[in-house]
Amino acid sequence: MPKLEISQSDLCSLIGKKIPIESLKQNILYAKGEIDGVEEDTLKVDLKDSNRPDLWSAEGIAREIKGRVTSKVGLPEYKIKRGNLVVHVDKKVSRVRPLTVCAVVRDLKINKQVLSQMIQLQEKVATTFGRNRKEVAIGVYDFHKIKPPITYTTVQPEGIRFVPLEFKEEMTPKEILERHPKGKEFGHLLSGYNEYPIFIDSANQVLSMPPIINSDHTGKVDEETRDVFIECSGYNFKFLVPALNVIVSALADRGAKIESVKVEYHNKSVMTPDLLPKKAVVDIDYVNKVSGLKLKPKDIVKLLLQARYNPVIKGKRIEVHYPAYRQDIMHPRDVVEDVIISYGYNKVEPLPIKYKTLGKMNEMEEASEKIGRIMSKLGMQEIMSYTLTNKDHLFRKMNVKEEKIVEIENPVSANWNIFRNWMIPSLMEFFSNNQHVKYPQKIFEIGNVVAVDEKQETRTRDIRKLAAAIADSKLGYHDIVAVLDGFMRSWKKKYRLRKTSHSSFIEGRMAEILVDKKTVGVIGEIRPEVLLNWKLEMPVCVFELEIA
Amino acid sequence: MSNYKLTEEGEKYLKEGLPEKNLVVFLNSLPQKTATIGRTFSKVKNYPIALKWAMEKGWVMKQADQLTLLKPPHETAEEAALKKIHEGKKIDEKILNVLMQRNLVVKVSETFVKTEKELAKTGNVIGELTYEMMVTGLWKGKKFKQVDVETTRKKLPKRISPGKRQPYNQFLMYVREKLVKLGFKEMTGPTIETEFWNFDALFQPQNHPARDWTQIYSLKYPKEAGRLPAKNIVERVKLTHENGWRTGSTGWGYKWSSEKASQLMPRAHDTAITPRYLVKGVDIPGRYFDMVRCYRPDVIDATHGVEFIQTGGIVVAKDLNFRHLLGLLKQFAVEITGIKKVKFFTDYYPFTEPSVQISGEHPKLGWIELAGAGIFRPELTEPLGVKEPVIAWGFGIDRLAMNALKVNDIRELFSRNLEWLKNQEFRYAKA
Repeated sequence: MPKLEISQSDLCSLIGKKIPIESLKQNILYAKGEIDGVEEDTLKVDLKDSNRPDLWSAEGIAREIKGRVTSKVGLPEYKIKRGNLVVHVDKKVSRVRPLTVCAVVRDLKINKQVLSQMIQLQEKVATTFGRNRKEVAIGVYDFHKIKPPITYTTVQPEGIRFVPLEFKEEMTPKEILERHPKGKEFGHLLSGYNEYPIFIDSANQVLSMPPIINSDHTGKVDEETRDVFIECSGYNFKFLVPALNVIVSALADRGAKIESVKVEYHNKSVMTPDLLPKKAVVDIDYVNKVSGLKLKPKDIVKLLLQARYNPVIKGKRIEVHYPAYRQDIMHPRDVVEDVIISYGYNKVEPLPIKYKTLGKMNEMEEASEKIGRIMSKLGMQEIMSYTLTNKDHLFRKMNVKEEKIVEIENPVSANWNIFRNWMIPSLMEFFSNNQHVKYPQKIFEIGNVVAVDEKQETRTRDIRKLAAAIADSKLGYHDIVAVLDGFMRSWKKKYRLRKTSHSSFIEGRMAEILVDKKTVGVIGEIRPEVLLNWKLEMPVCVFELEIA
Repeated sequence: MSNYKLTEEGEKYLKEGLPEKNLVVFLNSLPQKTATIGRTFSKVKNYPIALKWAMEKGWVMKQADQLTLLKPPHETAEEAALKKIHEGKKIDEKILNVLMQRNLVVKVSETFVKTEKELAKTGNVIGELTYEMMVTGLWKGKKFKQVDVETTRKKLPKRISPGKRQPYNQFLMYVREKLVKLGFKEMTGPTIETEFWNFDALFQPQNHPARDWTQIYSLKYPKEAGRLPAKNIVERVKLTHENGWRTGSTGWGYKWSSEKASQLMPRAHDTAITPRYLVKGVDIPGRYFDMVRCYRPDVIDATHGVEFIQTGGIVVAKDLNFRHLLGLLKQFAVEITGIKKVKFFTDYYPFTEPSVQISGEHPKLGWIELAGAGIFRPELTEPLGVKEPVIAWGFGIDRLAMNALKVNDIRELFSRNLEWLKNQEFRYAKA
């Protein structure tokens, strides 16, 4: 969910009306925003919709509020003047980063607010909507520093030198990937290619190397800049077109003028941007069926106008036109939500669901709860552990040989990178954290372990287990058998213990637990070596068994 | 018979006569052979024992306040037996049993000898009263060592504590039981899932940022893919992603990959469980919930864990609409958290439309986020074979638990602190 910072005064001036903070907090719901903090003029906004890049700036939020609180309703209008700029797309880019859409925007009146919104929007669109620049990389340039026409082509890693943004020295693309912070951050998007994409003008000035970095000369926009050239590059027009539309619409909302650019591919040429409104059709009945509101066609029309649509009633349906910056409308359902948002969520009367249904707990949870009650009555303290752990805990400290285990490829921490396949290590770890606490310590846990099981559709299987442990200054095998026995009698299961051995336990002081001739667990006294691995000075006796 | 001997009481009776014998001798000495109880009591030693046995043997009769002799005194078998035992002679077993019952004779067992010796060592002062002292009767007449009854509590060799349930678990069970009462059936699913159930079946596109490796865990082992469900389901999901299939949607417009969908991953959110149930077929009307562990590569801090519990579910019925969605959320707020004042916020979830978030006014914390919900998109339900509207909802159960248990760090829900766990007093408080 994008987090934005916008200026309250800037927002109000875009809306064209002064709105006090308390009502702004309400009105921002129309833009799926929530004001999270206010610091003087700065509003911290949680913008909930991660699929509406058009809302990720003061301009976009203002558009939505404007429709609801001023008379400015219906489609926002955007005029595009036909421009002369041509961008040639070299066939070579098709192997690396094949597509671009471009625009020229003139007469910007950039101040600090405008600049910060521009940068924030560009950043959010490329990061969140553009999948960390993979699908959309955006470049904005001072148009007057460019010598048209522009070519989008590729160069060899050491085939050219230019000064990247925020640097003083000329570097080759290869050096940028190796040394520039942005090169390091986004270099993986170009790995495996032997040529890198660049925008370059007729004077051989590099504009940028997408999706990495602009040049310091042309790619720097400040409060002096009046006219800009904007390009979005990537792989799919479905991402590129809305991204460009979002950016140019936001600038146009501040009075700037949009000019089209002719983008010439080797087999076709396209004029961008394309801000023609898009069309959808919604059944009036469907609106009422989904919303549960009894809205008349003309009410729906009014609400849609407020949501910046142009609706027309056509019999039992409403045909809507919606702005080109919106790419989220896939189904009539999306239009219905906008109707309800215009209506106001807090004006809708909640309706209880009357159907009677019979509730039921999952059997394993029911059994676990019963077991938990028995164990606590036996004087054992329940604990809850993560199912994620690490090999040191699961194997080495327990004096157990490593085995096949469900393992995470991209762990955040080396402490949590595998799933436990038995419970006892979690209990040992708990003891080792509580050596300052009075003994005896008696604990138990009911939880899942994950086992590798190739027969399953997920190649793994969850197993619900009970484990219990006692640590005390004087302790014997019989102490833990007493707990197991007490539990088994309450749990009404006949069980047997059969002598066996295990490298975590003292030889001759451990057994497997059998129920119905099937081994379900182990019980015994932990080896002193294992205790020392956990830095424990007290003897420990444990059992663990599968709950079937 | 050398392994029997008279007890102190036995020795006394041997010398002084059995109490009941002394009783009848006394009565016999009176001219009317009768006396009041009061008088007899003052004249006869061990009067209650004397009376008990004299009556049992039919020697005396009790009428109101008066005792009257029935049989004159004569030599008894007990007296003879006491004498014989004293002299180390054999006696009849029947009589022996009577005497042992009367605690006049004890068996001089190994235990007796051993216990007698041990007691002698402590100067015949009893430290811990034992079973052996009890069965041999050796405790009788001995002194008990005095203990410091007031300060013992400070130097206990072993403390005991009640076994308690884990407070977070208890809170979860509280919510679970509430949901069951509200008519919800519990769903579960595997910890390790295919991306298909985690995302694809929920209409989350394969290039969605939430599916990026920075947002979800992937597996190093098992590395091989998992199995996808029935072909027709997979095909419908694929087409819906690509072009909307028959759902009336445009779809996401990209080439769907079954390879990506069959990758295994630890479940990233509880909603992953729902589509399996939708495919298997749910009751209509039906209410379902889940409460499961989820895993995400978040940097661990006070509000984020690598492992956490989510609770959510669905309600499916004919003609459910947005108003029911709000009604359900309001019911949850009241029933589960006790909060009555609520507000609704616009929200976004990739798999619901419309979507909504509910916040409530907590008496201490002010406005807090309670739950998020929405109506599943048709692009989700229709390919899975469900025609009815499905309301999907989820709580921030960890936040609610943190409020209820008064902890500020999400890691404390899985506390490693035994002292803290032992001292928690969770009384099914409202969140």
